Amino acid sequence: MLKTDNIVSFKQYLFVLSVTWLLMIILISRYFQLQIIGHDQYSKKANTNRIRKVTTSAPRGLILDRNRQILVDNSPTYILNAIPGELDEKGKTFKTISSIIGLDSFNVSQNYKKYYRGRFIPTRLAKDLTFDQVSRLEENRLELKGIYYQQFAERYFPSKIRASHILGYVKEVDKNIRNSLEKINEYEFGDIIGWSGLEKSYEGFLKGTRGVQFYQVDAYGREVGHVSDFSPINPEPGQNILTTIDIDIQKKIESLMIEKKGVIIVGIPETGEILGAVSSPDFKPDLFTGRISENDWKSVLNHPDKPLVNRFNRGLYPPGSIVKMVTEAALLNNPDFNPLSFQECKGVYQFGDRVFGCWYTDGHGNVDLTKAISNSCDIYFYKTIDYYDLNILSHFFKIFGFGEPVGIDIEGELKGIVPTNFYMNQRYGRSGWSKGALLNFCIGQGEILVTPMQVFNYINIISTRGNTAQPHFVKLNKPNKYYKMNLKDEDWDQIIFDMRQVIIAQKGTGRAADPNIEGLKLFGKTGTAENPHGEDHAWFIGWIEKKPKKYSIVVLLENGGSGGSDAAPIAKEIFNKLALTKY
Amino acid sequence: MILSKIFSFSELPFKIIWSVLFLTFIGLITLYSISQHHQGPMLLNPFKKQLLFLIPALLICFLIICIPRYSIHKYSYAFYFIGIIIVVLPFFNISHAGTSRWLDFGLPFTIQPSEFAKVFTVIALARYLSDNTLRMKRFTSIIIPIFFAFIPTFIVINQPDLGTSIVMMAPVLPMLYWAGAKPFYLFLILAPVLSMLTAFNSLVFTLWAIILGGVIFFSRTRMVMSLFLFFGNIFLGLLSPLMWNSLSTYQQNRILTFINPEKDPLGAAYQIIQSKTAIGSGGLFGKGWGAGTQTHLKFLPVQESDFILSVIGEEMGFFMILLILYVVGYLITQIVKKSYNSKDRFSSLALIGIATIVLAHVFVNTAMTVGLIPVKGLPFPLISAGGSFLISTYIMIGLVLKLSINYTD
Repeated sequence: MLKTDNIVSFKQYLFVLSVTWLLMIILISRYFQLQIIGHDQYSKKANTNRIRKVTTSAPRGLILDRNRQILVDNSPTYILNAIPGELDEKGKTFKTISSIIGLDSFNVSQNYKKYYRGRFIPTRLAKDLTFDQVSRLEENRLELKGIYYQQFAERYFPSKIRASHILGYVKEVDKNIRNSLEKINEYEFGDIIGWSGLEKSYEGFLKGTRGVQFYQVDAYGREVGHVSDFSPINPEPGQNILTTIDIDIQKKIESLMIEKKGVIIVGIPETGEILGAVSSPDFKPDLFTGRISENDWKSVLNHPDKPLVNRFNRGLYPPGSIVKMVTEAALLNNPDFNPLSFQECKGVYQFGDRVFGCWYTDGHGNVDLTKAISNSCDIYFYKTIDYYDLNILSHFFKIFGFGEPVGIDIEGELKGIVPTNFYMNQRYGRSGWSKGALLNFCIGQGEILVTPMQVFNYINIISTRGNTAQPHFVKLNKPNKYYKMNLKDEDWDQIIFDMRQVIIAQKGTGRAADPNIEGLKLFGKTGTAENPHGEDHAWFIGWIEKKPKKYSIVVLLENGGSGGSDAAPIAKEIFNKLALTKY
Repeated sequence: MILSKIFSFSELPFKIIWSVLFLTFIGLITLYSISQHHQGPMLLNPFKKQLLFLIPALLICFLIICIPRYSIHKYSYAFYFIGIIIVVLPFFNISHAGTSRWLDFGLPFTIQPSEFAKVFTVIALARYLSDNTLRMKRFTSIIIPIFFAFIPTFIVINQPDLGTSIVMMAPVLPMLYWAGAKPFYLFLILAPVLSMLTAFNSLVFTLWAIILGGVIFFSRTRMVMSLFLFFGNIFLGLLSPLMWNSLSTYQQNRILTFINPEKDPLGAAYQIIQSKTAIGSGGLFGKGWGAGTQTHLKFLPVQESDFILSVIGEEMGFFMILLILYVVGYLITQIVKKSYNSKDRFSSLALIGIATIVLAHVFVNTAMTVGLIPVKGLPFPLISAGGSFLISTYIMIGLVLKLSINYTD
């Protein structure tokens, strides 16, 4: 073996050592950079790494009737989730689940595919499980690795009333819904949001505030415990809302409208409170909770009478004779008009080259204003149209609340049509219409269209001599007063006297509505509105005085025949019911 | 005593021994921290497994000190061939996750033969270079040692184990340099590699071309040769993007991830990001032993071997990292010093080779944990868990202890 003193030079030795320490210094500086300079940044990162924010949804507020009986409640149902990464044998697990909960295993795997978002993200397999089903699943815990359930509060309707168009429904927030929201950050996927009716109008009250909990998770996203240095925020339940609905009255009017099309609204005129309202046909309130079968859903959706349409807000009807008090007010407003003078009704009236008939083809004979209202004579009003013009009559319709939404606290209200000169010119052209249009308008026919809610507001205005408040479904501390009215006292006297005559006069059209109960005084007006699209609509509007209280009602039977003989008897049943109420 | 005839106890380099024991101790306490919540079979508990493997490791180390030095020189080629055979063996085994790195004898643990092959290669290289020292000034004579190292490396790279193959090739250049090869020749060996790497960035490639031209110019090579060397390298560089496409996706991914780890936080870059987060959040003194959240919540991958330094960084902080890197640097310095002072060419070359292997392990592993280089499955000497690696490291330590004693036999 060759031997020398040193096999390499000192220079080479130093070079190798320098390279070694240079590399060491590079490594040390890099560690210095991460651990000393970047410490804060990486600490933050380490914390967010291990802490998972889990939001807990707040229970939604309840909806109560005026006597604090629960109309809408929350009922716990369960959602079945799978953590895909923890599933052992997918097919076998799904089969076990479907045999326990009675859902086809194909559906289970369909849901799995539909909701799959990641290996460690809970994936929904089934929803609306009952406690019973969950406890049976729990018994088979060992065969169901990676299967978890989660409580979910679903809307539940414990009372016997439907009130579906009032209460409305909720929806589960999905991607489309969330993107369409204004307050996008307040909702997460899977939250429920009021989508119609009171659920929507009072969303801000009912919703509540989500809580936040912090969990420590491992790298697989599995929860390994709570975090002590971040305090959880508890969910704040939504507020309950107290409605003006009375369960008994609502139930009564719903029963009256079974198998019928139309609207009934019952309320208290002074306050604008609505005791009950039904738009028929309607639907079961739990239609949207997902418990309903596909067939039921389709039958609602394809029903020719459109049960999903809220008729009291969105149904547009010709009002017919029920608006004759508006014309009356317009007549009384003219100082030249004498309410005691007679007009002769022969059953027909020729205007220009057109012949207009009275509903009573034999003719009412000599008619004064009171009789014209109580017998609902049309000819009287045809003959008095010279006391006003179209715009004056429109003005009176408007001060009685027609032609614009009444501002009810359920959205989607339509405003209807009150014809004006401007409207007629627009629709028919300047020469396309004549004064003859007034002959229709004055008896509530022709272009005019109203919603039942406007009619309810109208009857409230008359019964309170203009001192009513905006109609509403939820009790308010200070209801909005109705400020538009400016009628003379004697005009109110006349109108109200005439409406009393509708009920009590010999030939009063509203006699069939009178319950004939001692101490109850009924006022009303019938209407049989000609409907260009089909059968006549039958109206009855009125109020009952049970000192010191008043209750107002609107009955509309769509294609339901005549106001006096079809709508009035239904009104009578409601008055009978109201006579028994304690307030 | 018989032992005292073989070596003199007082001659042992205690600075090296203390450094080694310190690093082993740090490794054990870190593994103990990781294993705290460990349940299940003992050999799955990294701490107990490491403790168990320490017994044969120390025994083999002791055995090496006891065997006569000439036999190391004598059987070095034989061991080299054994090394080549054992790195081929895993290819006949059932592969683990598409790789053929481990030998499975049906024992509760597997053996990684490349760990041993790299030591045998260094020893064989040391013998070849010490036997052929007079011809070192010629360019052709440095090709043979490179070829020597390249055979096992080529097999290991196909296992595929990029990390270990880098470590295997690492000692070649320093040993050639140590043996007296002309630095310019070593530069020429390195040049094609650099030409290929720099080709992916036009600015760096231009810079490299200038350096290359400069070095060739000042080496006063003949004109034709200079032009050949220069343009040959440039051509190779321009060719490399084509070669890139011939790489396997797994290799491509590692390199790509290295360029921009943040781009794919759940893929390959996940490990680097988690490691940096663990290290960075440790700060100066760490979160405390056993209190590393990234470690114990399993955010940190392969924490007992490849990323054990990240655990130390998180739990014991920059202070301990500094101490460890200092001790490692000190250990390597001591080995280099012994190599420099060695009167015997074979020992000197073997020592510098081992020093390079240790340095390569330390640099690649540490740089990987902090995202300086792409993720390589390479452990940190003496600290990382791993039976084969622990034993092979102690074989190297044994060799260092044996060969650094200057005496004639």
